[in-house]
Amino acid sequence: MTTRWLRGLLAGAVGVAAVTAVVALLEPHLPAMSLLVLYLLAVLPVAVRWGAGPAAVVSVVSTVLFGHLFLPSSRRWWFAEMDNAAAIGVFLVTAVVVGNLAARLRRAAEHSARLSAEQAALRRVATQVAREVPPEEVFATVVDEVGRLLGADSTAIERREPDGRRTVVARSGSAPAGADQLVIPVVAGGRTWGALTVLRASFPAGAEGRLAEFGEIVAIAVANAESRTQLAASRARVIAASDATRRRLERDLHDGAQQRLVSLALELRQVESAVPPEVRADLDRMAGDLTEALDELRELSRGIHPVILSEGGLGPALRTIARRAGVPVELDVRTASRFPEPVEVAAYYVVSEAVTNTTKHAGATHLQVTLDAAGGALTLRVRDDGAGGADPARGSGLTGLRDRVEALGGTIHVTSPPGAGTAIDVSLPV
Amino acid sequence: MLVGMVRRCLIVDDNERFLAVARTSLERDGLEVVGTATTVADALDKTDRLRPDVVLVDIALGAESGFDLTRQLVERHPDLRARVVLISTRREDDYADLIALSPAAGFVWKAQLSAGAVRELVPEAS
Repeated sequence: MTTRWLRGLLAGAVGVAAVTAVVALLEPHLPAMSLLVLYLLAVLPVAVRWGAGPAAVVSVVSTVLFGHLFLPSSRRWWFAEMDNAAAIGVFLVTAVVVGNLAARLRRAAEHSARLSAEQAALRRVATQVAREVPPEEVFATVVDEVGRLLGADSTAIERREPDGRRTVVARSGSAPAGADQLVIPVVAGGRTWGALTVLRASFPAGAEGRLAEFGEIVAIAVANAESRTQLAASRARVIAASDATRRRLERDLHDGAQQRLVSLALELRQVESAVPPEVRADLDRMAGDLTEALDELRELSRGIHPVILSEGGLGPALRTIARRAGVPVELDVRTASRFPEPVEVAAYYVVSEAVTNTTKHAGATHLQVTLDAAGGALTLRVRDDGAGGADPARGSGLTGLRDRVEALGGTIHVTSPPGAGTAIDVSLPV
Repeated sequence: MLVGMVRRCLIVDDNERFLAVARTSLERDGLEVVGTATTVADALDKTDRLRPDVVLVDIALGAESGFDLTRQLVERHPDLRARVVLISTRREDDYADLIALSPAAGFVWKAQLSAGAVRELVPEAS
């Protein structure tokens, strides 16, 4: 006999005893048969709490007890009297039907409570997935929620490695010996990524179906994270390719057109000293024009790629930006190290863009730039005392910077309250 | 011509056309180009052998760096400190800090290279 039955019957016995005491008190003053209905008070709680089965048993016990104690009978058996038999029959049917209804109501209420708990848990996990929190956090939430919902001893998410081994990526509780195991495969991107595993002494019916949705949500989190990683990698490739192209372009301009024009300018100066004075003025003007053209070309290639960055690293490159800036720049470079080229280029463009924006829009009188390398990251802070109100969401140069920084796995925070200047904080893993 | 004025020079540049034009230009103004080199190794070797008064070093030597060459030259020949002149197709402003940090005497833009410009930076032979 299960504990549910045992507890139901025990509670029934207590209830029946109590009702019997009440009936005994009332019986001298009222017709006994009218008191039979009071036993429903013992039957109903049992039906609601422990189900229709124990309630039916309690009903039968109630009638038998009632008959024995309170029904006077001329015959040997009280139920041999026709009136009694009919009344007791009606009571029994009523008790069983009402007990059934109450038990069903109770089940429906339980089911609905469980459903809403499940929905709430799913919603919490789904919110995390939608907010793109790291998959490890989603996994931790899933094992907690599933463990609580199913009252599991242990819940785990395992990832299947390419070599067939399984790695536990999240776990709640600890596995007891000899428990029942429920395994829900996690299928992401068309392949079995891993599984959601729940251990418990025994599982209620339908547990597997209830877990399926959690398996699906884990799959979505996994697929999201994978596509985010791929996206970041492809973004990084696109940026690296474009940087390489710019570097080559600057180099080609330098090795080609600029080199030729420079030699030409030098030759022109030689010719100049060898010709009669009347032609000399013309040649001088041409040499001047050539120098101007060379300067324009130089300005252009400088915008394509800052050669000082590849040649000298961030310190000298940032000092060059500071020197050319339209506002005073207070530069604090606390590292002389060289970093991977994409990192240096990203940091350079952040400062370059910030200086441009500040000069153009902010009406600032002064800019502070701090570069530091500590704890595996290159950090950059740029502060100005300008008008603020820069909106990084609008299509400004800041969007391009965000792409660049995030493609490298870094972070960029821009705060620009109106009237309080603009602050840019960048961290790049190195 | 003044006694002790720089006379003998070595040009290091990976562009043959520029080497030819520069040689003519400098020699006309009385600066003897004792040799030309196109790589770092070549430049070190010729400096050892020819003992020039001044070395003109192009900053962009293909994949090699004129700044590196300058440092190596000064290490091997301490008397060449402040006797190396950096030259480039790019402008001084493009390299500013790096030129200041190097042991070179200074920088001359290639389009304005002349014996006079070199002598302004390196007035006297050692």
